[in-house]
Amino acid sequence: MAATFFGEVVKAPCRAGTEDQEEEEDERRETAEDREVRRQLARKREVRLFRRQTKTSLEVSLLEKYPCSKFIIAIGNNAVAFLSSFVMNSGVWEEVGCAKLWNEWCRTTDTVHLSPTDAFCVFYHLKSNPSVFGSCPRKNMQVTVLTCRHVTDYKTAESTSSLHSPFLKALKTENFKEPPCCSLLEQPNIVHDLPAAVLSYCQVWKIPAILYLCYTDVMKLDLITVGAFKPVLSSRSLKGLVKNIPQSTEILKKLMTTNEIQSNIYT
Amino acid sequence: MASRYDRAITVFSPDGHLFQVEYAQEAVKKGSTAVGIRGTDIVVLGVEKKSVAKLQDERTVRKICALDDHVCMAFAGLTADARVVINRARVECQSHKLTVEDPVTVEYITRFIATLKQKYTQSNGRRPFGISALIVGFDDDGIPRLYQTDPSGTYHAWKANAIGRSAKTVREFLEKNYTEDAIANDNEAIKLAIRALLEVVQSGGKNIELAIIRRNQPLKMFSAKEIELQVTEIEKEKEEAEKKKSKKTT
Repeated sequence: MAATFFGEVVKAPCRAGTEDQEEEEDERRETAEDREVRRQLARKREVRLFRRQTKTSLEVSLLEKYPCSKFIIAIGNNAVAFLSSFVMNSGVWEEVGCAKLWNEWCRTTDTVHLSPTDAFCVFYHLKSNPSVFGSCPRKNMQVTVLTCRHVTDYKTAESTSSLHSPFLKALKTENFKEPPCCSLLEQPNIVHDLPAAVLSYCQVWKIPAILYLCYTDVMKLDLITVGAFKPVLSSRSLKGLVKNIPQSTEILKKLMTTNEIQSNIYT
Repeated sequence: MASRYDRAITVFSPDGHLFQVEYAQEAVKKGSTAVGIRGTDIVVLGVEKKSVAKLQDERTVRKICALDDHVCMAFAGLTADARVVINRARVECQSHKLTVEDPVTVEYITRFIATLKQKYTQSNGRRPFGISALIVGFDDDGIPRLYQTDPSGTYHAWKANAIGRSAKTVREFLEKNYTEDAIANDNEAIKLAIRALLEVVQSGGKNIELAIIRRNQPLKMFSAKEIELQVTEIEKEKEEAEKKKSKKTT
């Protein structure tokens, strides 16, 4: 507060902060417009489950519909290619649904007509053994997660020139009792994003789960990186699901040629 | 720590790293594999050809380039950077010939390229070249040479080396298989280069390009048919070796 030449009292700006606490609260209170914007964002960010062929949404949550004993999730194009060519070509896998979602980091603004390359997850189950799939947190379920990460994220005391990438590392929950197919991920390396979320969920709900993380120096679809996942085929979770390995290599080669993105920057 | 010292090329980090140069070496690993072998009377350069888009003219996508009649190089990394380096090297070769009336030695042109690359690691406002090069050729004394340069501007002479994606795997293969027998004659040296590439090339012989220089002869690029012939010979030899092994064990 300051007095001017004419005797009026004027509120002077104070760097110590506003004295009037009530005014601050008013500014912070949400207007109706803020609430509306927040509501619209929440609606856009809803995860939607539906059947791809019929485009009808799945009314009954997938959780209840399909109980399962083995849940395998592949994150990233190399892990997905491995699963598609080595596991899914043996036996008949039926698509039961898919999930589409959007958040502010997506590059599209259209939330209704998302293309298959946008945030997209497809769920399959094995026709001959319907218990192999699902997401119900049951005690006798086992979860396997496959994903890739760039080798420059790998922290080690050894010289990085001695690293033979791609290489596999494993991280498991307390309830997973079997031996992993490769060495465990050492400290101080950490797992990020969706694989970390899945593993944390499994640890909290005491579900045996194991994450196989492939450190590679080629993040795009690459035969050698996909080949680095082969030790996982001998694990109990995938045993019995893989029958025809030479055919798998052929399918993988086909996947490579169809998915190749032309780039002339590097030769 | 890296994030504070990796933006400017002219800044050392406290532990002595020039991060931009190290990142440039990562860019090299994004290029497809190239292998160089120094034989007794021949030098061989083999590269993994990148698959070309349907509408693209294949001739404009070349990893092996002649710098002069007796020197050629293969690179891995940023295509545009390679084009600039190759042009400068070619001009230097001709300038040298006109000034000194002698063709360049392989070591001279390698040193020129390496010096050029090093300058760009010490200049403000420029970034290093994102390529490694394998330079092969014969000098006037008739001795075959193979040199390798990298984005930091260092160069070394090698008996055999590989650059680009999966270079480590190829180098290990070469360390095991580069013997006096393996380079006993020209054909054996060519086969060794192809075998080294087949370790990492994803679709076999049709994605391999090969070039050789023989003493007192110009650069020769192999046609697809010639490469296929070599590949079939190699596969036959492999089968025979495996049969022998299984006979020995039974």
